[in-house]
Formats: sequence, structure tokens, C-alpha cells
Amino acid sequence: MSIHPGEGRAAQAARLPRDLVVALAVLTFCAAAYAVTLGFKEAPSAVAQNVQPATFPRLVIGVIATLSALLAALSFRSDSARKRPVKPMVAVTAAMMIAFVIAFDTLGFIAAMVLFSLAMPMLWGERRWSRLLPFAALFPAAIYLVFVLGLGVHFDPGLLGVN
Amino acid sequence: MDAFLAAGTAFLDPYLIGVVLIGTIGGVVVGAMPGLSSTMATALLLPFTLTMDPIAAISLLSALYCAGTYGGSITAILVNAPGAPPAAATAFDGYPLAQQGKAGLALGMAAVSSVIGGLFSVVVLIVAAPLLARVAYDFGPPEYFALSLFGLSMLASISGESAVKNLIGGAFGVLIATIGMDFTTGVDRFTFGFWELSEGIHFIPVMIGLFAGCEFLIQAGKLNQPQIRAALDAVRLPSLDDFRKCAGTIMRSCGIGTFIGLLPAEGGTVAAMIGYNEAKRWAKDKSQFGKGDIRGVAGPEAANNAATGAAMVPTLALGIPGSATTAIILGALLAHGLRPGPHLFTETPTLLYAIFLAMLLANIVFGVFGLLGAKLFARVTLIPIRFLWPSVFVLACIGAYALEQSVLDVWIMVGAGLLGFVLKRYGFAAAPIIMGLILGELVENSLKQSLIIFDHEWLRFLDRPIVVTFLVLTLVSALWPLVGVWRARRAAV
Repeated sequence: MSIHPGEGRAAQAARLPRDLVVALAVLTFCAAAYAVTLGFKEAPSAVAQNVQPATFPRLVIGVIATLSALLAALSFRSDSARKRPVKPMVAVTAAMMIAFVIAFDTLGFIAAMVLFSLAMPMLWGERRWSRLLPFAALFPAAIYLVFVLGLGVHFDPGLLGVN
Repeated sequence: MDAFLAAGTAFLDPYLIGVVLIGTIGGVVVGAMPGLSSTMATALLLPFTLTMDPIAAISLLSALYCAGTYGGSITAILVNAPGAPPAAATAFDGYPLAQQGKAGLALGMAAVSSVIGGLFSVVVLIVAAPLLARVAYDFGPPEYFALSLFGLSMLASISGESAVKNLIGGAFGVLIATIGMDFTTGVDRFTFGFWELSEGIHFIPVMIGLFAGCEFLIQAGKLNQPQIRAALDAVRLPSLDDFRKCAGTIMRSCGIGTFIGLLPAEGGTVAAMIGYNEAKRWAKDKSQFGKGDIRGVAGPEAANNAATGAAMVPTLALGIPGSATTAIILGALLAHGLRPGPHLFTETPTLLYAIFLAMLLANIVFGVFGLLGAKLFARVTLIPIRFLWPSVFVLACIGAYALEQSVLDVWIMVGAGLLGFVLKRYGFAAAPIIMGLILGELVENSLKQSLIIFDHEWLRFLDRPIVVTFLVLTLVSALWPLVGVWRARRAAV
């Protein structure tokens, strides 16, 4: 466990083990998943042959919950190492992933790809237009050649009608 | 014999040879790129192989798998950045050798020992897979249930942060496999009213997301790190003296890698680590290990490549993946409408022999390319990550979309990538989730069928000796990491 400068011993001691927090989160997930299984329809016993649709998922949820309890118990003996905080660029990249799929669905794949090929390297710090522009033009063109013309993958044209 | 001749004839077709060559070169290239593993590459490529003939498709993926395992050693030796996890142990001595100006020797030894390990394991595959398949004919649903539990329990000992977290990941994968309609009763589960989910979540988008989508985000956090570039003069074949020094290590590692590969869920990474440790343990002079001992390159490289063919044995004979990449190849077989397991040997023997031949060919070809083209392949480290990873993400999106031509699959891929990133930060690896996802259906169906056979009397599982054997092995493999921790503590006191 890393100790940050200026952090007191009391604060360190008061901090819950990281794996305990993980185990509690998994247990919460198990509780939620179990609650969802309560909403599964019951099948007639002749069809279900005494194995209802919820039986197996509940069994698996039970296994996960048991393992999580074990993880919680073990966390007091040996905890996993703390990771460095997530850099803002990771969140920006995650947002770009989502934006790309939205653009894929609305503007169409080709337009989305051209925009992404231009925007993503720029966001990651590339400033040389001599590299950005050829990449934004040639990479989508290569993809189009291989996948649309070569492998026959069909993409919806989207709002811009580019296909 | 007829099937072997048919497969051999198929390999006279320049198209099939070309496919294996492309798979091999592609495997070495992606294997050499840090972050891009053969597992990710097979996951990305799988959707596009669905339009291919099954023999060509599986041969392509198998060649990529074999070559990718070797490719990882190039950057492990040259820049101390293993291209793939199985090459991590190669860096321990390979990189110090490169720093001493002996990169060519290290690369040459890596190529030769990889080829020996790979060929050894393919021979084992050819001999052992049909034998195991014959045994598997006696397997009924209870045996398959116990076997799949054993496969999942082995997740405890695969590399990762924690054995318990690996097991949770595996069980989580099984839970994801229950999404969609229960085929016995026709009742929807975890679909939340979305009819699109009734058919279940296909494992391909999840797999692509967990490997490629997640890695895209990891790379986003490494942008400020300087990109390490490879440099070497020439690759040279190890001398006779080098071979004499390493022969024992290579042969031992072939055995170790094959044994580890045969175990469900274990793979090249574990094999390489044990191969390295054993190379060191058996050495009379251990002083140079970690500083540039050539046996520290030969040991892990022979072991991780020996695990590749061996991992295909349970995959083909039992339908239980031997590693993360073979889980994807298993998925490819299923996607092509083929039934992995003993029936594969009677129904499509030509395909099996084609896989064997493809792997043999791939091992020879990557050996040649490894020696002749390592300098060229090392240049992949020159590709700026600002362009490389956005391209990989776009390919991941196309891979997820191309399967059903559905944007929902792209959303699933992105969701899996984001989830995979969060899970990874908290110590959960992607491979156990994938294993669970692929084995989930088998676990549920075999359990249900067993319960019907046993009239819901659970204790009747214990009437069957094979089931009891697998259940005991399951307990041992699940608890083994805890025994290891206990022994380490005792030794420390």
C-alpha cells in the first residue's frame, strides 16, 4: 500500500482495505442480480423439469457472493496494491469511444471513422498536419477497401449518406 | 488416413498456404507490439474469418496463435517490453543480453527454442488429442459438468493479481452467459425488456472489448511515457556450444510447457514462468541469471511455445479451452457450426488434420521469419501509438459490428472495454471472464441434464468415478494457491 506524503498514520489505519471495498461492491452487485432473478417468470414444472430459469443464475450468484466473502476475509491479511489515479486522458478517451459509436450510428461509419481518425491522434497530442491528414484520409480508405469492397461488410450510410 | 491425405491435399492449395503465411507473419508482428497480443489479434480477426471456409479460418487463427507467442519475445529482448504476456519471462535475461550487444544471439536462441517447443507440442497434439477424444466418448453430462468445473477452478492458478479474483471473474463470465432466453423453458433472463438480448450476449464483442477496448484505455494513460525503440545489428544462429549449453533446458521446457498447456485454462504465461524457474533451478551456475544467461531465454521460449500446441488438446478433444487464445479458437469453431469434442474427430477429421498441418507449417515459417526478419519486425516499435491504438479501436468496432452487422454489438464491445478497464484496475483479469463466458453454456446445460438424469439427487454425482476424480482435482486446483500462500508464510517465519 503506498503512503502519500503528509498522510497521517491514523488516516492510513482508518482506510479500509482495498479488496474489502471491492468485495463489498461485488456483494452489492450479487444482491442486485439476485433481486433481478426474483422477477424471472416461473416455467411450468413439466417444461422446467424442476430446474427453473432462475435456479442456475442464483447458484452462480451464490458462488460469486461466497468468493467475495472470502476475498473480504483475506483482505485483512494481504491487500492488493493501490494503483495510481486514472489520468484525465483516460476519461477523455472513454468519452471518445462512446462518441465514436454514437457517430457510427448517426453519421454513418465512414464519416465517423474519418472524424475519429483526425480527432483521436490530435487529442493524444499529435499536432503535425502532415501526418494527421494523410492518416485521416488513408486509414478510412484502407478500411473501406478491405472491409466494404473486399469482405462485403455493409455499413448503414447514416445521416450524411456516405457509404 | 483418407482425412490426412485430404488435409494434405488442401495444403497444396496456394490460397491455404498464403492464409497460413499471412497468419504467421501477422502473428509475429502483433506479438511483437507491446500491448497487442495474439489473444487480442485472434479476437479481432475472428469475425472476419466467419465468411471463410472453416479450414482456412481455423488455420489462420492457429497460425496467428503459434507465431504470436514467439513474436512477443522480439520486443521483450530488444526493448524490455514483452509484446505478449508469455514473453515476460524472456525479458529477464533477453534484455540484459541485448544490453551487452548480444541481441542477435538472444533472438536466434528465442527463435530456435520456440520452434523446437512449438513442433514438440504439435506432435503431442497429434498423438494426444485423438486419444483424449476417445476417452471423452465415455463422458456424459455429469462428466462434462465436472470437467468444466475443473477448467474453471484452474483459473485460480493462472497468472493474475489474485486467485480469488480470477475465480470471481470466471463465475462472472458464467453469469454473463446466462443473459438471454433460457432454451429449456423459453424464459428471458437479465434482458431488462430488450428483445435484442433474448438471443444472449455473443462472446465475440465482449471478448474484443475486454482485450482491445480495455487496452486502448490503458494506452491512453501511458501517453507521456517515452516510446522505446528497438535497435539491433543482426540476428545470428546460436553456436553449437550455445546449443549444448541449452539443450537440456529446452527439452525440459518442452515437457513443462506441454504439461501446463494440457491443463485447462493454463497457458503460455504460466508455462514460461515455470520454464524460466526450472532453467535456473537446474543450472549449476545460477549467477548469470537475470544478468544475461542464454538459458534464461531458451527455457521460457521453449516452454511458452510448447504450451501452444498442448493447449489445443483439451480445446479440440474436450471443448474445454486450454488458454485464453484457444478459448477464442474454440469460439471460432462454434461460430463455424462445428462441435468441439470427440465428435470433431469423427465428423470433421480433415479439419483437424488441417489444423495440425497449419500449426506445423506456422512453427517452421515463424522460425525462418524470426531469424531472417527479426530486425524488420522490431520496427513495429516505431509505429507511433497516437496512430496505432485509434486504428486498433476502429478495427475492434468493425470486428464487433461485422458479426451480425449490428450497432448493439459495438455498444456491447465498448461497454465490455470500459468495464474491463475498471475491473483491471481492481485486479480482475480479462481471461477468466472470457473462459467463464465460453464455458457458461456447457456448465449450465450439463448441470441441468445431470440433474434430470439423477432425478435431482445431487449425491449421485459421487457414484461416477470420473466425476469424483474431476471434483477432487477441482478442489485441489482451487485451493492450491492458498496452500502456496500458507507455505510461503511458513517459510518466512
